[in-house]
Amino acid sequence: MSFLDTKPGVPLLESDDLVRHYDVNRGLGKPSATVKALDGVSFTLEAQKTLAVVGESGCGKSTLGRQLTLIEKPSAGQLKINGEAVGDLSDKDAKMFRRTVQMIFQNPYGSLNPRKKVGQILGEPVLLNMDHLGRKEREERVRDTMAKVGLRPEFYGRYPHMFSGGQRQRISIARALILEPKVIVADEPVSALDVSVQAQVLNLMMDLQEEMNVAYVFISHDLSVVRHIADDVMVMYLGRVAEKGPTEEIFAKPLHPYTRALLASAPKIDPAQRVKAEPLTGELPSPINPPSGCAFHKRCPFANEHCAQVRPELRMFEGREVACHRVEEIA
Amino acid sequence: MALLEVKNLTVEFGSEDKPFRAVDSVSYSVDRGEVLGIVGESGSGKSVSSLAIMGLIDFPGRVTADSLTFDGQDLLKMPAKKRRAITGKDIAMIFQDPMSALNPCFTVEAQIMEALKVHEGGNKKQRRERTLDLLNQVGIPDPKSRMTAYPHQLSGGMSQRIVIAMAIACQPRLLIADEPTTALDVTIQAQIIDLLLKLQDDSDMGLLLITHDLALVSEAANRIQVMYAGQLFESGPADSIFAAPRHPYTQALLEALPERSTGNDRLSTIPGVVPGQYDRPKGCLLAPRCRYANDHCIQDRPEVTDFNGRDVRCFYPLNDQGQPTGQTTGQTAGETV
Repeated sequence: MSFLDTKPGVPLLESDDLVRHYDVNRGLGKPSATVKALDGVSFTLEAQKTLAVVGESGCGKSTLGRQLTLIEKPSAGQLKINGEAVGDLSDKDAKMFRRTVQMIFQNPYGSLNPRKKVGQILGEPVLLNMDHLGRKEREERVRDTMAKVGLRPEFYGRYPHMFSGGQRQRISIARALILEPKVIVADEPVSALDVSVQAQVLNLMMDLQEEMNVAYVFISHDLSVVRHIADDVMVMYLGRVAEKGPTEEIFAKPLHPYTRALLASAPKIDPAQRVKAEPLTGELPSPINPPSGCAFHKRCPFANEHCAQVRPELRMFEGREVACHRVEEIA
Repeated sequence: MALLEVKNLTVEFGSEDKPFRAVDSVSYSVDRGEVLGIVGESGSGKSVSSLAIMGLIDFPGRVTADSLTFDGQDLLKMPAKKRRAITGKDIAMIFQDPMSALNPCFTVEAQIMEALKVHEGGNKKQRRERTLDLLNQVGIPDPKSRMTAYPHQLSGGMSQRIVIAMAIACQPRLLIADEPTTALDVTIQAQIIDLLLKLQDDSDMGLLLITHDLALVSEAANRIQVMYAGQLFESGPADSIFAAPRHPYTQALLEALPERSTGNDRLSTIPGVVPGQYDRPKGCLLAPRCRYANDHCIQDRPEVTDFNGRDVRCFYPLNDQGQPTGQTTGQTAGETV
C-alpha cells in the first residue's frame, strides 16, 4: 500500500479542474438539459489542514463532497490523492483509496441505520475493509474509537434512537474515523445541532485533527463556524470558485463582491460588527441555464457590460485567488 | 394595554398524573409595533408556546393559562368559533419550512385566496386583485405569472414569501414567525427578515419572532426572551440582554458562539444536553449544566424575579462583571440542606 503513504512535497488531496454535470429530463417533448453542478474546481489540501467550502444551497458544495469521497465519478478533471490520480486506478486500488477519504453527513438523524446498534454501525466499515482482523480485534477497535470521540463504553449495544443529536453526530464522527482516514469530508456537520452542542462537536473535531492528523474539507453555510475552524476558505457560486484564500484574510477583507455580500448578510450579535449593506437582491440562478459572462453579474452591484459577456477566470490578487474582472477597482 | 398578554401559560403532554411540561408557566406580552424575539435551543418550548397561542395544540396536549388575552379578549375563555375568527385573521403565523407549509396540490393563487375567502369574503375578482397586491407587497418578481404556479415550481425563498403573503392577507395585528428563515440561505434570510420588519413597521403589527439564532434575534427584535426546557430564563431589551447577560445560561450560550471566541483555540461549551422528558432535574433545570450551581440550585427551583429591570429565573443573577451575585446566602442555604 505504498501509494497510500504521504509523500513529501506532494499535497494530500488535489482537485484539478473537477467537473460534474448531470443530465436531467425536463419532461415529455422537451429536450434534456445539463446541470453544471460542478464546473471546474481546483484546490489542494495539505495534511492536518482544514479547507472550508461555503456558498448558498445549489452552489455545488455537496456535489464536490461526493466527488472527493469517490461516491461519484467526475465528468471531467482529476482527483489526486498523494499525487496519484484516482481516475486511472483499477477498482481494487480505488477501493483502497476510498478508505483514505471518509465522510460525516449533515443530518445525524438520517445517516445512522435505526436497526443497527452502535457497535454494528461502527464495526461494519472495519469488517468490510480490514478483513484480516478477527472479531475480538474488531470490537476492540470499535471501543477504542468510541473512547476517542467521547462515547461511553456502555453505548456499544445501544440503538441510535437512544441518543441526542450531539451524541449521534459523535457516532458519525467515530464511523468516519475508524478506518484512520487522511481526509474527512464533513458536509454541514453541525448545522442540525444547537449552539451549545455545536460547540462541543466542533471542539471534538479540532481535538481529533491534532490527535489523528486528519485533514478536513468542511462544507458549511455558517460563516462564524467556518471562521473558527478553517485554515483556508473556498467560496463557491454556481459550481465555480468565486474566491479562495486564507480564512483570516478573507474575513478581514473579502475581495469578491459575492463574498462581501455573504459576510454582510450574516447576522452579527455584536452591534459594532454590523455593517449596513444592501442585501443581495434575487436568488441563485438556475444551473441549467446559467447567466452569460460572470454567473454573479445579475446580482452584483459592481457589474458592467464586460461582466455580462466574459466569464472571469480565477486569478491571483493580493495573495488570493479571485474570479472577478473588477477586483482591482473594488479593492 | 398590550396586544397579546400571556400569563403563566403551561402546556402539558402525557398522562394526567405524570405530565410532561413542554411549556412551564411562561408569561410575556407583545405590544403593537413591537418585535419580541423568543430564543432557545431545541426542546425549549418556544414553538409549542406559539402553537398554544394559535390554538393548534391538539389532544392529548393540555393548554392552561391564567390568562391568554389578545386585544382584551381571553382566547381560552371564548367559544371555539369566535377564536377561529381571530386566529388566521388578527393573529397569523409563519412556519419554519416553507416547502411543507404550502399545499403541493394547489396553485399559489388558490391558497392565498382561500384565506381571504374565509376571513374577508368578497367576490372572486376582488380576491384575485388582492392576491396580486399581496404578491407585489412581498416582493415577488413577475407576480402575475406566479399566481398560477405550484409550490414545487418555486424556490425556498420564494415559497417563504408566498407563506408571508398568506399570513398578512387579512392584515393581522399580531404575526407569529416560527423560525421563518432556518431553512433558507443567509442572503435570502437577510431579504426575508428585512421584508418582515418592513411589513411590521408599515402596519404597526406586533411580531413574535421565534428562532434559535442569537445573532438574528439580536438584530431584529426590540425585546428578547431566552427560554430553556420550557421555562422562561431571562427577558429584557435586545440591546442590553446580550451585552450584559444576567442569567448564567444566557452567558454560557453567548460564550459558545464561535464569534465570541475569535483568537481562541477551542470554543467554550455547555456540558451535557437540554433535559428531556425523563431526566428533568429536581431543582433548577439548568443546575446539572451550570458552572455556578450549588446545593441550593440542585434542591430548589428558582422563580422568575426582577433583577435590575430584567426578568431572571436564577437564585444568583449575574452582575455587570458576569459574576453571580448573592452567592453567600446561597452557600448557607446549601449547608442547611
